[in-house]
Amino acid sequence: MRNLLIIRAVAFNSFVESVRNRFFTLFAVFAFTAVYASVLAGVMAVDQEARVLADFGLALIELTALAYSLFAASSTLLREAETKTIYLVFSRPVPRWAYLAGKLCGALLTAGLMLVVMAAMHLSLLAFRGFGLPAFYAWALAGTFLKLAVIISFAFFVSLFSTSAVSTLVIASIMWTLGHFASEARFLAERAPGIQGAVLTAFLWLIPNLQLFNARDAAGAASPLGLAVLFPAAAWVAASCLGALWLLSRKEF
Amino acid sequence: MQSISALKAGARGRGLLILAAAALAWAAGGFSSRRYVSPFPPPSEMRVPAVGATGDMMALALGARRLFADLWFIRLMQYYGTREFSGEEESESAGHNHEAEEHYGEGKYPLFLPMARHVLEVDPAFTAAGLYGAASLAFNMKRGDEATELLNYALKYNPRGRSGATQFSEDRWKYLTMLAAVGYSKSGNPVAVAEAIAPILKDPDCPVMLKQLAAFLNKKAGNYAAAAVIYADIAATSRDEAYVKNARRELEKLAGIKRQGPARGASR
Amino acid sequence: MTACAVSFSGVEKTYKRPRLLGAEYHTAVKDLSFEIPAGEITGLLGLNGAGKTTIMKLITGLLFPTAGQVRVFGQPPSDVAAKARVGFLPELPYFPPQVKPADALEYYGRLSGLSGAELSRAVESSMKKTGLEPHAGKRISEFSKGMLQRLGLGQALLHKPDLLVLDEPVSGLDPLAIHDIRALLAGLNAEGCAIFLSSHSISEVEKLASRVLLMVSGKLAAAVTRAQWESAPGGLEKIFVEAVK
Repeated sequence: MRNLLIIRAVAFNSFVESVRNRFFTLFAVFAFTAVYASVLAGVMAVDQEARVLADFGLALIELTALAYSLFAASSTLLREAETKTIYLVFSRPVPRWAYLAGKLCGALLTAGLMLVVMAAMHLSLLAFRGFGLPAFYAWALAGTFLKLAVIISFAFFVSLFSTSAVSTLVIASIMWTLGHFASEARFLAERAPGIQGAVLTAFLWLIPNLQLFNARDAAGAASPLGLAVLFPAAAWVAASCLGALWLLSRKEF
Repeated sequence: MQSISALKAGARGRGLLILAAAALAWAAGGFSSRRYVSPFPPPSEMRVPAVGATGDMMALALGARRLFADLWFIRLMQYYGTREFSGEEESESAGHNHEAEEHYGEGKYPLFLPMARHVLEVDPAFTAAGLYGAASLAFNMKRGDEATELLNYALKYNPRGRSGATQFSEDRWKYLTMLAAVGYSKSGNPVAVAEAIAPILKDPDCPVMLKQLAAFLNKKAGNYAAAAVIYADIAATSRDEAYVKNARRELEKLAGIKRQGPARGASR
Repeated sequence: MTACAVSFSGVEKTYKRPRLLGAEYHTAVKDLSFEIPAGEITGLLGLNGAGKTTIMKLITGLLFPTAGQVRVFGQPPSDVAAKARVGFLPELPYFPPQVKPADALEYYGRLSGLSGAELSRAVESSMKKTGLEPHAGKRISEFSKGMLQRLGLGQALLHKPDLLVLDEPVSGLDPLAIHDIRALLAGLNAEGCAIFLSSHSISEVEKLASRVLLMVSGKLAAAVTRAQWESAPGGLEKIFVEAVK
């Protein structure tokens, strides 16, 4: 119970810090502008305007939330170490796992809030253009949130061994693209001969398949995410957290 | 010394952490590998136009296939909407003509099929693009074989069979209907074409160009009431000013025909 | 026998800095053994790089010893039970500039396991003890260095620690702030709280501490009691200068 209160305190503090951060405002303005710009693209699509507006908006929402979340996740631990705030935390009876869990919850709360705010802007924009709620919208947002959860926890893990926030951003971004290529990579690995193919396939299993959560792109299949995708999402988040805890448990400040 | 055994125990515990992390990631990868069936064509099916390689790379890397399919579709419409100058021997009027329905969309547009196919390569669920492409090829450019090729590709990779798939497995009938219409068109039976595509027109996602074609064919066959219903639908629902203006003009003409009587109107 | 708040036994701390090829090692403290008695004020003096901050971090569990053993109230410093009894003020503590002092204290109070009415009382008491009450309505961005140091001390006091570890608590403060903080520390010690403070100011340590550890190049050069420096000609300053030369 005590540790739950600590997790809550760290999460809330991290969330409030993020929301106060001027970057959050910048990103909100950017998102609004970008979504508005998609109206212009919608006009070019004429009778497919509803589809184009929905796709542009959802993609921009995801990329904006991704950029901010990665920026926050890759710099938060480094910044706390640089400002010595971490001294005031770890000199207290705060288990390192609880701190990590709190930070992750704070980052997920921030990402969730960003998605909700930008989705509200986007839906208002769609309504303004005379369109209703796209059928797959909630699933697309849920999928985006799961993808963000996986990549944010991975960024936390990387930030504990990388030398700068920039290198964390780069590594996490590479993982993001690899995650979307996972099925194509497996397609190729499965065609590699013998043991070579088996080793390659086994290695590729370590890369989270983000397409699994890409309800936005798979909207064509009109298939909701399904409860089953929560298991790999939770497993990848937990794997990154365990890796991060492995590094944090012996990290000195 | 107590601290040495404690350190060893601590190191063992930490070692277990990283092993557990790797096992979890690997198990999740294995689970998803077995469970995930890609709704997209295999990578070998991608015939990337030289100018679009970067865009397609982004589409895959960012998981934004729908967005980039939209962009390809906009490019296709811009390409098709550009008046075509096809050499000295052809006059300007042979190009894309929005005003005269009879010659609507005529022209060579050699890149139309690869561009239309590429939209479906990126997002095979983009049914409206598939129908638009096939209809343009078959009915405007009189390239039935290419339309058939596009429709066959669309049918092959139309995402279906995924658990929970409903909407787009239903879309197969649209492609099949369009295939039939293309067949009628090849055999020179416009009335059968109009009848064949009639069910597709009720779909809210039906390309307006197809509606206009159906209206035109009905008008030509003397089926003014059916033509008027379709023009009214275009005028009420389309966001393309050119189509809306044309539909209103045609509605006025049809009203005039009705006033003059069906016999005179049919002779036009 | 006086109870022991902190004990160092043969402690060594070597930092490893990864380089392109291999690594570079730097030993900050070596073969360090001493005790800090409970309820007393112990000072730590040394030149820059003598290992003062390393010792503070070893006590608070921010660093792990390369060799030897550190105990805080009989427990390893990383133990939750040990940390619950320690309050730490690092040099130049940072607080988010947009918040008010009570908000920052509330956060750290929660991390110390306080909640509800107990947390409110602890925040109020810390604000009162450190003289921050009149500035409760200000944001931290409006704080002077002295006020920030008071706030740093306030966060260390929240959970009523039995040991206060203070790294340069009066560094860069004006004389009035130094006077106030000295009075506060003396008061806390009178209530039974052990204090371990490092400083560059010999006179400051001399005024507060009952015992001083002198560090020279990572080694304990001497442990001097108040009686010793008061009876020596030239006082603590002369003992220190002779030790570091």
